[in-house]
Amino acid sequence: MAIKERKRTFFDLVDRYFEGMEQEFDRWRETFLERPSWNSKLCAMEPLKDVRVTPTEVVVTADLPLTEKSTLQVKPVDEDTLEISAKMKRKMSFKELGMTHYKGEIQKFHCHTRIPVPVDMSKMKVGFKKGLVEIHIPRKRRK
Amino acid sequence: MSELRIIEKKPISSGTVMLFGFPDVGLVGVIAATHLIDELGLEEVAYADSRLLPPVTVVHEGLPHSSLRIFGNDKVLLAVSEIPLAAELVYPAMDALIEWGKSKKVRMMVALSGIPMQDRADATELKVFATVSSPELLKTVEKEGVEALLEGYIVGPQAIMLMRGAQSGLPAIALLAQCFLNYPDPEAAGEVLKGLAKVTDVKVDTVKLLEKGEEIRLKARDVMRRTQDEMSKMKKGQEYDIPVYVT
Repeated sequence: MAIKERKRTFFDLVDRYFEGMEQEFDRWRETFLERPSWNSKLCAMEPLKDVRVTPTEVVVTADLPLTEKSTLQVKPVDEDTLEISAKMKRKMSFKELGMTHYKGEIQKFHCHTRIPVPVDMSKMKVGFKKGLVEIHIPRKRRK
Repeated sequence: MSELRIIEKKPISSGTVMLFGFPDVGLVGVIAATHLIDELGLEEVAYADSRLLPPVTVVHEGLPHSSLRIFGNDKVLLAVSEIPLAAELVYPAMDALIEWGKSKKVRMMVALSGIPMQDRADATELKVFATVSSPELLKTVEKEGVEALLEGYIVGPQAIMLMRGAQSGLPAIALLAQCFLNYPDPEAAGEVLKGLAKVTDVKVDTVKLLEKGEEIRLKARDVMRRTQDEMSKMKKGQEYDIPVYVT
């Protein structure tokens, strides 16, 4: 018996598009998760971070426990990438972190964060409270 | 055969309070559970085994352990997971743990968790809310000075605990401390333990927990990262939604 192919509606196409997006996001997420969040050669750890886009600004936060405000550095790498780094108050060996099978120590936090919408990096404001950095960057207005 | 088996390692006391501390917002439950284990000197008394659990063993002092374990003494049983429960595991895990708890005649269940707060970094005081399984318990928690969460959505293991408690008549309380959504929050864990001391006779000092706060945040980063992933699959963001109460 021949199977008649059902005519695809607009909604089927939208569903397929979002399924594809979801699969792509899952692949990206797995890649992100399945690599260490530290680098023993650089003695650096990637902080937990969050990027929130509001109608007027982008707010980037990163958790930097055991760091001093005076060592915090936040600088734009280019128009849509931010570099965050901070030295830790004391070095933490992998043993102290509960990993006896690795040698070395962690001395700093370091990461690059991509900003998903156009922003004006020159007007960036940085705050630091309770070991948490909060960066406010105004969005660029469309001309 | 049940989808998830609880295997006992030591004799289990009856009439205890059963606590749950699972990875969730701010890792409040896991951080609070770890502190309880240290402060009360709780021993591993049972563990979960299931093909539904991820193929992960926690190595401690050179020996393998289940990622979902139960610690206890003659007053408390504490179910704790060191890795986030996958959305599809929440029902079988909670059903097995609750049924096992009932067979051990637990007198009450309490889930330790958090509720995300906007502008958490600016907060000087963190509230603890309680959701409960019965009207009588609602009066009890309010009398003990814990604010009840009256409307909203609860997502995750504590949601199943509350429903099963309401269905079976076994008293159940979910204690939710205001916390960071995506960052480990030892301060919130301290607050949830103060809430626990108000509604049960399980009391611990939280000074050490706050002293080690920054170190805990550092060590808990990777568990938080993986928990964020599971929370998004579980639609945890629904807890922010404005509820429509259907009468």
